[in-house]
Amino acid sequence: MKNRAGQNSIGPNWASWFGLLTVLLVSWALFMVFVYVPTEAEQGIVQRIFYFHVPCAWVAFAAFGLVAIAGFFYLRFGQKIWDDLARAAAETGMLFCSLVLITGSLWARPIWGTWWTWDSRLTTTLVLWLLYAAYLMLRAMAEELPQVGRLAAVVGIVAAADIPVIVISVRLWRTIHPAVIITRQGRHGLEDPRMIATLLVAFAAVTVLWIWLLMLRFSILRTARRLTELGGGLAELRARLSEQEPKRGRQILDLQSR
Amino acid sequence: MSSFATILHKDLRLELRGGQSTITLNILSLLILTVLTFALDAPSRSSLLAAGALWVAMIFAGLAGATQAMVSEWENECIRCLLLSPADRGAIYAAKLVASFIFMTVAQITSLFLMVFFFDLNFDMRIVRLAPVLMMGAMGFASLTTLLAAIQAQIKTGELLLPLLTVPVFIPALISGVKATQAALAGLPFAGFAQWLKILGACDLLFLAGGYLLFEQVVSED
Repeated sequence: MKNRAGQNSIGPNWASWFGLLTVLLVSWALFMVFVYVPTEAEQGIVQRIFYFHVPCAWVAFAAFGLVAIAGFFYLRFGQKIWDDLARAAAETGMLFCSLVLITGSLWARPIWGTWWTWDSRLTTTLVLWLLYAAYLMLRAMAEELPQVGRLAAVVGIVAAADIPVIVISVRLWRTIHPAVIITRQGRHGLEDPRMIATLLVAFAAVTVLWIWLLMLRFSILRTARRLTELGGGLAELRARLSEQEPKRGRQILDLQSR
Repeated sequence: MSSFATILHKDLRLELRGGQSTITLNILSLLILTVLTFALDAPSRSSLLAAGALWVAMIFAGLAGATQAMVSEWENECIRCLLLSPADRGAIYAAKLVASFIFMTVAQITSLFLMVFFFDLNFDMRIVRLAPVLMMGAMGFASLTTLLAAIQAQIKTGELLLPLLTVPVFIPALISGVKATQAALAGLPFAGFAQWLKILGACDLLFLAGGYLLFEQVVSED
């Protein structure tokens, strides 16, 4: 028999496979970061946090893109599945965005000598965090409203469309962040091929970790919605039974309570 | 077009009779500029601080004004009548936006005079050169808050939601607006802050397009 709870969601098997893949990839990435990759000459051991910092930043921005895309599809087609996807993406994205800010501060303290500076990428990430916070606050405050999905989708789309303008304006404002991946001259700061390999593995590990968390949160949200719908349907059925056939309705309810 | 004119006329007439928005906005601007003068302990003729103070006053007064304009529409279910009328959703949005823009502009003129007064600046061409910067700022802010205040008005416990939603999205416009205002107050010609005006213009276009296209989704009912 088909799993009824799994009909509308990604089945539990998929999530378990992704969980296994996550464990393998994260272990591999940890090995590469702490054992395999050589220590960077100028910054020393602190530089190793970079291999998790950069993939987290990528996930933080990708997740907001997913919030906007899922929000757009929800407004276009109206299926609740898109709303649940947008919510799961926002919640997991907020987690990774916080991780970017924390790992960045940990790195900046010994290297720049300060926890925080109003550099362009730091500022952009902080604004992204604030946008996530606004989106999730709206969802929390409007939770009871039937139109919460639409309101959240509108905010998600406006905020995501705003991100390119934020990046440009803040970059013109000021920047001192190291351009590690590619500079304007086309050079990158990772001289050793082992560093590039480690970064790629860390990218894969963090991305798969995010997708796994996203799947888990998404299937919880789907199950919760299905439960609410079932509860609503049951209450309606009870009301109708007790209205039309008081005696028989009471019998059914008695049977249920047993 | 006629529904746009009718709704705008209604809002302006309501304002001329009661003056709620403009009086609130003006007094709030005065209050914020006073607080900032004390808080920053402003040395005279500091155009850097004056530019920041002007924009802080604009943002907070604008937030209060937008809340008031939209909440009054949701009280007594006025918005439902507006939605039941054959008026296009885009026309409703545009009318509310223009009304809010006019109220903000009035408040901005007041805060401009107050800024010159409090920060001991000179009345000269530099103040005139500020006009396009401030009007573009008010346009972007009004188009953003008209959309987001309509969201806030539907949430009973959401009085503080509007600043949370608006301010992060408005940050690029705020940065470019403050930079352009500083440049204008420092006496630079338009060419000196053209890039900031471009970003401000891009923000305006983005907020206008987003508001116009998405307003229907915000006000429609399931």
